[in-house]
Amino acid sequence: MSTDTGSVALVGDEVVENVVRAALFAALTGVFSYVSFQLPVSPVPYTLQVLGIFLAGVFLGPRWGAASLALYVVAGAVGAPVYAYGASGIGQLFSPWGGYLWSYPFAAGLLGYVAHGTDERTPTGEIALWRLAAGLTAATVVIYAFGTVGYAYFGDLALFADPVRALVSAALVTAVPFVPGEILKAVVAVLAARSERLRGA
Amino acid sequence: MLSHAPGDTLGHRLDPRTKLAAQAAIAAVALARSTPAWLLALTLVCLVALRGCGLSVRAVYAEYRGVLPFLLVAPLVGALRFGPPWIEPAGVRDPLLAVYRTVLLLALAAAYVRTTSPRESRAAIARLVPGRAGRFLGLGVALVFRFLPLLRADLRRLREGSWVRLGDERRVDRRVVHLAVGALERAFRRADALALALRARCLSWNPTPPALSFARRDYAVLCLTGALIAAAVAW
Amino acid sequence: MIDVSGVVHRYGEATALDRVDLVVEDGEFVVLAGANGSGKTTLVRHWNGLLEPDSGTVRVNGTRVSADRVAARTAVGMVFQEPRDSFVAATVGADVAFGPENLGLPRDEIDDRVGDALDAVNLAGREDERIETLSGGERERVAIAGALAMRPDHLVLDEPFTGLDAPARESVLERLCALHAAGTSVVVVTHDLRDVLAPADRLVVLSGGAVVVNDAPDAAVERLAGVPVDRPC
Repeated sequence: MSTDTGSVALVGDEVVENVVRAALFAALTGVFSYVSFQLPVSPVPYTLQVLGIFLAGVFLGPRWGAASLALYVVAGAVGAPVYAYGASGIGQLFSPWGGYLWSYPFAAGLLGYVAHGTDERTPTGEIALWRLAAGLTAATVVIYAFGTVGYAYFGDLALFADPVRALVSAALVTAVPFVPGEILKAVVAVLAARSERLRGA
Repeated sequence: MLSHAPGDTLGHRLDPRTKLAAQAAIAAVALARSTPAWLLALTLVCLVALRGCGLSVRAVYAEYRGVLPFLLVAPLVGALRFGPPWIEPAGVRDPLLAVYRTVLLLALAAAYVRTTSPRESRAAIARLVPGRAGRFLGLGVALVFRFLPLLRADLRRLREGSWVRLGDERRVDRRVVHLAVGALERAFRRADALALALRARCLSWNPTPPALSFARRDYAVLCLTGALIAAAVAW
Repeated sequence: MIDVSGVVHRYGEATALDRVDLVVEDGEFVVLAGANGSGKTTLVRHWNGLLEPDSGTVRVNGTRVSADRVAARTAVGMVFQEPRDSFVAATVGADVAFGPENLGLPRDEIDDRVGDALDAVNLAGREDERIETLSGGERERVAIAGALAMRPDHLVLDEPFTGLDAPARESVLERLCALHAAGTSVVVVTHDLRDVLAPADRLVVLSGGAVVVNDAPDAAVERLAGVPVDRPC
């Protein structure tokens, strides 16, 4: 046909695949955000949201893992029902739990970096266990650090006047009750990374 | 859950970029000026915005009722002291204002979501963010909207399947692994099929930009937004 | 014109295509048949550069596919098996517009193309409907419209009838015949020869990665003994 083909800049094959996977992990994180379960050790209901972040870091690596969660945050900000319990909207980013949302791209990127390094993506089944464990721990720390600071800041707990008190009391609400759930999700992420059924991915 | 509903209110007719800019500006002002007087003024702004989008305060309250308990923990935490007298009532004030501010911003977000289709949002992102990053975010957001219902259905089927086959005796970690691996497997399959289709349809970095244009009402709203920021800086 | 010459394609150790030669002329209706794993899908994915041959060449309208993929992908429109997963947008119009948008065409031309493509598959005026709510046959036709909006010379459909009931199958086939009559070359990839032979100009059968039959349908059917495809009833 007469279409001028010279001016069309095709997206490279590998990039197409990564863009689609990034969007899929963002959507998966969104779907996990309304799967909730209860553990006997803590009164809070857990969602699987953080599992989505773990899996994005492990399966996509640093760049695309971070890109995927950036998509998640942006999609939620413009109305996709992907935040915890199906919420959405820019307002969530400035709410007391907004710190978590800001943390996700960084957490997925850091996890991807620790698990894969910066160069070639290691096949997921071959990532050393210590790398997975270190990456998952680091990602969890990032999420709760952002979450706690965000709660103290957006909740106006006098973060600058009395930082120690503000952060400790925020952590009591934002981090401590959730730790058992994170351990479970980290274990699930490791098992998924090692799963035979996902070997080819 | 609150989602886009077609309509013909002023909110629906505004350009999505205008709505995003106004939201960001109000959020910035609310964060920088969390005094009772300013929050009162912003409350009026929000009520006007809700009105202009055909949303009632009651509908917004119903939407966010679930998060209120979580919000109200903040003032209690604010009063907590690690040492005598343990409780300091004055510490409640700022967190309470912060809660109120959050409620205002959530209400505005609800108005945006109600009046803006995913397609408009995607167009706004593609227009606002330059170059390849804008293309990535615009396309990616479209794909997220596209895949949410499919993945949700996958997960529901997996859950039902595992309840039927494995019953409740299974340990929670095993159930979650089963769910996660199954969901991933299907997600990868879908991703590969879609990637192929995108390549066959010439996915490019430089597509025709989405159709969006400012009208007079957009300039009016942007001027009011500018005035709000100027006022916040002046006082 | 699609010109495949001496194409070999391997997946690791396995040879999927073994020195395949094949020409599809403009305006031709070709049925490409063969059992699962015979290499049909692998072959057609070379025509628009989704796969690269290990040796041999593929030319579309005289140009090597690897030299100008945009040209190959506009000239050869492809509809994938089970299109449910290959839609980009949630609504019919937005999905059909996706290809022309990537070409950077002006907005009014895109609108024209979307209108024409939906006309051609009997879905005129249904731009705003959600794809999720459509029937299987309608979804298949939206996927065809998405390929047609690129104004291709050749329309290639991979197993278009899988999962369709008889009326839906009928509606898709009827549209393909109309497109063929209007001058578009149509290639149907299938393991099931029911109904599709009547309108075809030529039947090509692949087995074990090689072309074993390539003839006018009547003559070709005679030679199908021993070839694993569902015979026409």
